[in-house]
Amino acid sequence: MGEGKDLLPVLLLELRRGTLTISVLSQMKEPKYGYALVQSLEEKGVAIDPNTLYPLLRRLENQGLLDSKWETGGAKPRKYYQRTEYGTEIYKRLKTYWENLSVGMERLLREEEA
Amino acid sequence: MTPNEKGLMERYIYQVIRRLSKAQRNEVRMELEELISDMYADKGSMEEVLTQLGDPAKFAGQYQSGQQYLIGPEYFDTYLWFIKVILICTAAPILVISLVNAFGQASVITSQNAVPVIIRAIVDGLTIGISDVLISCISAFGAVTLIFAIMEHQKVKIERKRSEKWSVEKLAEQKKTAESRWMPSFLEPVPDKKALISRGDSIVGIVFIVIFCVLLIFAPHFFAAVFSENETVKTVPVFNLDQWGSILPVFALSLLVGLADEILKLVVGCYCKLVMISNIVCGAIQIALSAVVLKAMPIWNPNFVAEIQLALGDEANPAEKFLSLWNADMVSNGLLAFIVLFTLVEIGVTVYKTLRYGAPIRNR
Repeated sequence: MGEGKDLLPVLLLELRRGTLTISVLSQMKEPKYGYALVQSLEEKGVAIDPNTLYPLLRRLENQGLLDSKWETGGAKPRKYYQRTEYGTEIYKRLKTYWENLSVGMERLLREEEA
Repeated sequence: MTPNEKGLMERYIYQVIRRLSKAQRNEVRMELEELISDMYADKGSMEEVLTQLGDPAKFAGQYQSGQQYLIGPEYFDTYLWFIKVILICTAAPILVISLVNAFGQASVITSQNAVPVIIRAIVDGLTIGISDVLISCISAFGAVTLIFAIMEHQKVKIERKRSEKWSVEKLAEQKKTAESRWMPSFLEPVPDKKALISRGDSIVGIVFIVIFCVLLIFAPHFFAAVFSENETVKTVPVFNLDQWGSILPVFALSLLVGLADEILKLVVGCYCKLVMISNIVCGAIQIALSAVVLKAMPIWNPNFVAEIQLALGDEANPAEKFLSLWNADMVSNGLLAFIVLFTLVEIGVTVYKTLRYGAPIRNR
C-alpha cells in the first residue's frame, strides 16, 4: 500500500493543527514579536514553523483574538502581537476544554497498558 | 547581511507577496523583512533561513483563507454539463452556416469546373467557420461562466444573511459562537418528484435558444425568400439587414435573459418560489424586449415586397395574392402575440407546478 507512506504525516498535521491556536494564545499575554514567539515556543518543546506561525498570527488578529502594533522606535520596525480581552476569554475556554480532553485522552491511551 | 543575501531575501519576499491580495502585500512584506532578518541574526546564513522557510508558494498559501473560487463544488457539475451543451450548440451550427455560405457563393460564381471550386468552397467555409467558432465559443463560455459566477456569488450572500438573522433572533446571548448554529427545523422539505427539474426538461429550451441566437448573429440572411432564376439562386431577406447592427443586441439580450432563467432552473433543481419569480421576471423582460424589437425597431426589410416582385418579374402572378397580404405591422403583431402567448403559457406552467408541487418554504 503506497498510501501508508503519506498517511502518517497527514494525520500528524491534522492532530497538530488544532493545538496551534491554543499554543499561540497561551504565550500572548504580554506583547511579543513573531520571531521571539517562534523561539519561546521552540524552547518549551512546542515548535511551530515560522511559515505556519506568521499567517496564523494574522488570522487570529482578523478574528479579533489578537491585537497588533508596529514598534518603529528600534533599529528596525517590529510588529508586536498581544491577546485582546476577547482573546483571553476564548483562551480560558480553550484551556478548560483542553484539560478535560487530555484527562480523557490519558484514560483512553492508558487503557491498553493496564 | 551582504548585498547578495539581501537580494536573496528580497527575491523570496517578492515571491510570497505576489501571490497575496493587494490589501495584504505591504504589511506582509514588512512582517517578512522582520522575520527573515531576525532569523538571519539567529542562524547567520540566508541560505539556511530561506531553506527553513521553504517554498514561497506554500508560504503564501498559508495566508489564503476562505473560499477562493468562481464556481463552487455545488454548481460545478451542472456548470460543466452546461458548458458542453452550449459549446456544441454554438460550434455545430456555425460550421454548417459557414459551409452553406461558402457553397452558396461558389455556386453563384460558376457552374463549370465544379470540382476545384467545391474544394475551394469547403476550404474557405472551414477557415471562416473555424475562426467564427473559436470566437463564438469563447464568448459563449464567458457568458455562461458569468451567469454561474453571479449565482454562486448571490448564494454566498444569501447564506451569509441567513446566518446573521439567526444570531439576532434567538441566539443573541451566545454571541459569536452561535452565529451559524444549525437546527433541524431549518431542514427544507424534500421536493415532490413532480417538482424536480431535470436536465432533460431544460435541454430543449437551451438548445433552441442557443441555435436561434447563432442563426440571428451569423446568418440573419437565412431568413429569406428563395428563388431560382436562370440557374442562379436569388434570395430576398425578410429582416432589415442594414439596421441589423442595432437590432441584434436587443434580440441577443432577450435570448440571454432566457438562458439565465434556464440556468437558474437547473441550478436550483426544483420548482420553488425563486424559480417562479425568476421565470416571471425573465418572461416579462422577454416580452418587453420582443415588443421593442417588433414594434419600435425597423426589424423588417422595408423593400421586401418590391424586391420579391423584382425577382419574380413576369412570374409574379401566382405570388401576387401572397404579396398583397404581406403587411409588416400585421406580421409584427402576430409574432408578438405568439411570443406573449408562449411566454405566458410557460409562466403559467411554472406557477402551477410551483404552487401545486413546489416546496413553499424553500426560498433559496
